[in-house]
This record gives sequence, C-alpha cells and structure tokens, in this order.
Amino acid sequence: MSIIKSVVISCAGIGSRLGSGTPKSLLDINGRTLISRQLDYFRTVENIRIVLGFRANDIINEVLKYRNDVVFVFNHEYFETKTGASFYVGAQYAGDYVLEWDGDLIVHPDDVDSILNTEGEFICYSDITSDEAVFVQTDKDGNVLAFSRESGDYEWTGPACISKSRLKPSNQNVYNMFEPNLPMKGMKIRAYDIDTQYDLERVSNIVKSWEV
Amino acid sequence: MKFLFDLDGTITAEETLPIIARIGNCESQIRELTEQTVQGQVPFIESFIRRVYILRNIPVSSIYRRLQDVNLHKRIVSFIQDNKDQCAIATGNFSCWCDGLVKKIGCELYCSTAEVEEDTVVKINSILHKERVVLEYKSKGETVVFIGDGDNDAEAMRQADISIAVGLTRPPAPSLYSVCDYMVFSEDALCQLLNQLL
Repeated sequence: MSIIKSVVISCAGIGSRLGSGTPKSLLDINGRTLISRQLDYFRTVENIRIVLGFRANDIINEVLKYRNDVVFVFNHEYFETKTGASFYVGAQYAGDYVLEWDGDLIVHPDDVDSILNTEGEFICYSDITSDEAVFVQTDKDGNVLAFSRESGDYEWTGPACISKSRLKPSNQNVYNMFEPNLPMKGMKIRAYDIDTQYDLERVSNIVKSWEV
Repeated sequence: MKFLFDLDGTITAEETLPIIARIGNCESQIRELTEQTVQGQVPFIESFIRRVYILRNIPVSSIYRRLQDVNLHKRIVSFIQDNKDQCAIATGNFSCWCDGLVKKIGCELYCSTAEVEEDTVVKINSILHKERVVLEYKSKGETVVFIGDGDNDAEAMRQADISIAVGLTRPPAPSLYSVCDYMVFSEDALCQLLNQLL
C-alpha cells in the first residue's frame, strides 16, 4: 500500500509583528508572493491543504492563480489559537503522513526536494539566525532530542513530518505537538521564517542570492 | 458517515434556474430576483415562493425533461454512485422538476414538493429546510458531511459535523466563508477530500 503524504501550509495568522495588515502569505518577495513560491515548491505534490483564517478570500484568490486543486481548510479561531491548532485542523482527514509547513517559511529549493523525497517522520532545523529562536538540541547523528527556549545547536524552523495517527488536538505551538514523540530523525536545511520587517528584507536578499 | 449534497451548481455543472427560466422566457425576472436574494435583500423562503410564481406556468414535463439533460460534474456523480448508501441530495427544487435527474444519479433525494394539476404547479406543499435533514441524520447517530455553494446551504453547513463549500460552477456564497470547514474550487480537490473523509 502506498503512503499518502499531505502538505499542510498554515496561512491563518495575522502577521501582527510585521504590522502591515497583510498576511505573511501575501508578502512580496522579489516580485512574487510567498504563497506562490511555496506552491512552486510543491508543484509535484497532489494533496496540498492550506489553512486559512485572516483574509482567507485574498489568499484563496492568490492561490487560484496558480492551481485549483488545493483543499482550503478553515481555522475560524485563528485569532485565539496558536499555530498548533491550525496544523491540527489542516491534518485532520489528510493523508497518512502530514508535512507541516508554516506559511511564513522560505526554504532553499534543493532542500525542498530532499524534504519531499524523505520518507517517514522527521523534523527540520537550520543554523541559528533569529533573535527569538526556539532552539533544537540534537545528538551526534543529528536526531532531535529536545526543543528549548534557552539553548541548543540549531534553530527550529520546520517543516516537520509526522504520522497523522500520532497527532492530538493542540492549542500550543507546532513544535510542542512533536515533543511527546522525541527523539525523532532530524534534517538540517537552509530555512528562514519571516516575523519582522527586518526578516523580510533579509530573506529577500537571501532568495535573490539563491536565484543567481 | 453521511454525505449530503446540494444539487444546483454542486452536482450540476451549470446553474439550473436560468435554464428553467429560459424555457418560460422569464430569464430577466429570475435574474433580478436572484440578484436581490444573493445581496440579502430577499430572504431565501420568500425568494423561493416568488420564484415559483414566476415559473409556475411552465409545463412541469418540460422542466423535468430539460433537467434530465443538464450537464453534471461527472467525478462527483461517480463518487455518489460508488457510495450510494452514504450519499443523498438535498435541494430546494421540487421533486416534480428534478426527480428524473436524481434518479439518473441514483441516490436518495430530499426536496421541496408541489401539487401539480394538468402539467402545472398549482400549490407549494413543502419547502425543504436542508438543516432539518442534517439534524435528522445526526439524531440517528450519523456523522454528517454537507457539501454546497449557496447562501441557503449556510445553516445546513453550520449544523453539519463537517462542511465543504464548493466553488465549482459559481463562487461560494460569501456567507459560507464564516461557517465552512473546507473550501474547494475543483472536482479534483473535492473528490480528493471526499475520499479522505470516507
């Protein structure tokens, strides 16, 4: 029996730290929206689910410019809930394995291919670049042992893949949902999330250098 | 799991009301009423009654025959036919109009009913409240999935365990954005989701 993998992109948030009233998915990065870049990553993936909340209709209209076979999932409580709640509603009734992908995450295209070609459960992490990082502690083989607000070898960025059967409802952050299942296989990637205007400028420059 | 489908624009690949109106040369009247209804100026039940008054002189047999030939979303029909016992259609249309079409699809039908004399609708007997069908199934312990696109589907979606708003023939009604669990814009996406829910 083949394993069906669903990609769940969480785009429900307000992007409050950017302070522009624009959801992060609609941010312009060198002439293209963030969500259009992510859809490009997943052009070969059949089952894409996009979790919506704030300005759902605007994100739908942007997505429909690129593909119409996406399943949109609503997190109506997006204002009161954290990212774990969006991931959980997106993963319900999805494929056997669910790849969690934050709507504000940019990943090097070569690493995207490695992620999509990796089977089973895993957690991705990157070199530490954020001021307020959630750290990842690993063993010598790169397996993830713990998440920490204090210290660690790497920064948690996601994505992460888990068997749907192991997910439980949550109102925590996504990484908290993975904690009961640690240790888990780890994978180091080049990934950046966008929380602030500074992040946006930095990521725009990084993406430009990848495209050269 | 029980899947309840709206008919018009969800299973049919074209809107049936303009087709019926065309038979009776009353397209502009129907269009005007539809626009007022969509804008929320006319409540659904009133709109339905006024619609029937506009269409009542059209021979029932003409509507029945024309609706049998209406274009359908083939993959959705296949899903229904493959899972007949778990699927039903809930439509505000009269049985005397859409019975033949639904027989072709081959599942259970919940609809409005009318008294017909000499091939003409003379009285509305009942108007379907789709949410009552949802509640009836839920009271029997079923998990109900409701699939639809119209403003008159909103209450049924609110009551359903799982609701899917579709934009296959026209955009989903704006009211559905605040109640639906899922939204899809292609048969591909809908069939993928329905099979995951099965």
